[in-house]
Amino acid sequence: MSVVQFVVNGLLVGSLFATVAVGFALIWGVVDIINLAHGEMVMLGGYCSYWLIQLAGGEVSVGIALATVPVAMAVLFVVGYALQRVLIQQVTDESLFLTLLITFGISIAIQQLAIQAWSATPRSINVGLADPSIFVAGLIIPKMKLLAFVGALVLTLLLWLFLKRTRRGRAIRAVAQNPQASELIGIDVEHTRAVTFGISAAIAGGAGSFIGMILGLWPQMGLNYTLKSFVIVVFGGIGSIPGALVGGLSLGTIEELTAGLVSSTWTLAVSFSLLIVLLVFKPDGLFGQSVEGEQ
Amino acid sequence: MSTRDLRTRLQTVRAYLGTYGWLALGGAILVLVGLQWLGPLSTSRASLLFFAVGLFLVVWNLLLLRATGVLEFAHDHAWTLLAVFAVGAVAVQAAGLLNSYWSTVALQMFMFGVLALSWDLIGGQTGYPSFGNMAFFGIGGYTAAVLFKNYGVALPLTLVVAAVMALVFAAIIGVIVLRLRGGYFAIATLGVLLVAIQVARNLSITGGTDGIILLDVPDQALIYYGMLAVLVTEIAVVYYLSTTRFGYVLNTIRDDERKATAMGINTTYYKTAAWGLSALFTGLVGAMWAPYNTFIDPATAFNTAWNVEFIVMAFIGGTGTVIGPVLGAFGIRSLVFQIDSLFTGWQLVVLGVVVIVTVIGLPEGLVGQLKQRASALKYYEYGGGAAGGAEAADADATEGGND
Repeated sequence: MSVVQFVVNGLLVGSLFATVAVGFALIWGVVDIINLAHGEMVMLGGYCSYWLIQLAGGEVSVGIALATVPVAMAVLFVVGYALQRVLIQQVTDESLFLTLLITFGISIAIQQLAIQAWSATPRSINVGLADPSIFVAGLIIPKMKLLAFVGALVLTLLLWLFLKRTRRGRAIRAVAQNPQASELIGIDVEHTRAVTFGISAAIAGGAGSFIGMILGLWPQMGLNYTLKSFVIVVFGGIGSIPGALVGGLSLGTIEELTAGLVSSTWTLAVSFSLLIVLLVFKPDGLFGQSVEGEQ
Repeated sequence: MSTRDLRTRLQTVRAYLGTYGWLALGGAILVLVGLQWLGPLSTSRASLLFFAVGLFLVVWNLLLLRATGVLEFAHDHAWTLLAVFAVGAVAVQAAGLLNSYWSTVALQMFMFGVLALSWDLIGGQTGYPSFGNMAFFGIGGYTAAVLFKNYGVALPLTLVVAAVMALVFAAIIGVIVLRLRGGYFAIATLGVLLVAIQVARNLSITGGTDGIILLDVPDQALIYYGMLAVLVTEIAVVYYLSTTRFGYVLNTIRDDERKATAMGINTTYYKTAAWGLSALFTGLVGAMWAPYNTFIDPATAFNTAWNVEFIVMAFIGGTGTVIGPVLGAFGIRSLVFQIDSLFTGWQLVVLGVVVIVTVIGLPEGLVGQLKQRASALKYYEYGGGAAGGAEAADADATEGGND
């Protein structure tokens, strides 16, 4: 396969990484939490779609597969809201270490419960397509990946519009800037934070449904996505949706190029080495504001 | 009586009720278990677990009631206590009192004690929450295994080389990642661990995903003594350091690194030293664990579940203390063993829940809580209650008619 083909594959998959990372960046920016359980939201979203489709008979048409995405998002919104309200809120304004630890605890608990409930076997959502790929200028483009690419972009765009255009979105941005001042002008800060958490989980869950359709699902998949999100957010800069998009597409491309030109067993090592290098030399990201003073 | 005053009193009452309540609950469990033992049901693992929980509740709450005295005693007799522990642990093994199951449990408790204390050195004392300490364990383990298997090096020598390898690796990585702070440091170290796993999977010298099988290894008792020796040495070293300038500097870096730098302290040097010391001990037990396990592969050498487990141990015991992480390790490890035999496969679920509950309910850890209680008791002893009352009254006065 040609290098161009790897780049195209990378961009298609990278859009999903970007969408997951946007949710991660949202919580980090608004609630000031590095949510180590973010990948588990992706996993849960994927399994939500998977089980809905199993109920519908296993292999379904594209329309039904797409219809499960909003359902998964709704479920994950509730999960995210409840997690923040019941557990994470207790330590939100405490030390960073406590929030890291509690989200790690949640991550292990969800992941292990998923193994107990659904076994560790990898699964994937089968979508029936008569003609699975299209050919453009000598490149193979799987239709499902293209669909996931569009879906991921739509989710990201919707989130961006929501944050910019709606009243609730403005409230979220206000809380991100200054929680005390927001409280003074009558915003329910804790509720807004929980809603943000819910939205972030919903975005991750929606992306998880698409990931289940093109890449597969297994209970321990979460950590990878959490770390990828971290790489992307560090790359793009905290609180920058365009930054996360560019970061996600770049990461996808780099991983596909590594897999294609070197070996697929080295992709993780390459992306995490990249993360460490980035953290050390460019901790502000390419698009974000400075993160100086981070405790 | 103002509402604030009333609230303070209610809180005091509740605190006391709390301690006695838990004490009563623990006592009740003990009585129940005792009845079960005397009755027809005889002993089962389940009742052993109940017994442990009950014993813990009783002992813990008695400790809380006598917090000041306990801490003073521990402080005055620290070296004696350590010696008693060491001699006792050697004696029970030498006298053959431990069967192979309990010997395994004890050995792993010692190992996790070292891991948790090593983590605490960088995570608790210095305030750099490392999520990648397991990398040093794996490096130590692989160094020992490769040297032993491929080059026929004697095991004691492999231990030395493994510890040095872990130290060198830590120094190189430390120069890069110790420039980061907080969450960035945490994730970068987790990244280091994951890269290490992939490298071990892909190299031929490590045997790839198949790992390395070790034969002709020393028997368990010898490794038991080895782990014990490392643990006792590390406790002694960390305890000694915590009373020296070195220890104070580490705590200063944790509390305010900029201020430490402004005072003219070369923080990079101290951070790297603490990180290196942490890696040295972690690598050493890794090198002992490989022959004990007679097998090493990427998934077990860089076990990501253990990586969280010893952080949790340090946290539950009390970060930034010497004995806390070790006690946490002993407690959690024996709990994990029990759960493993009762509900196989659920130990990580339980671990996750324990983490969540502890973070919310006991953020200072057990030893931290004990210290807090001791200082609160002292406060009341020296008439602090009256001072507190005056403060509350002042606060009432300034708040005007709000109450």
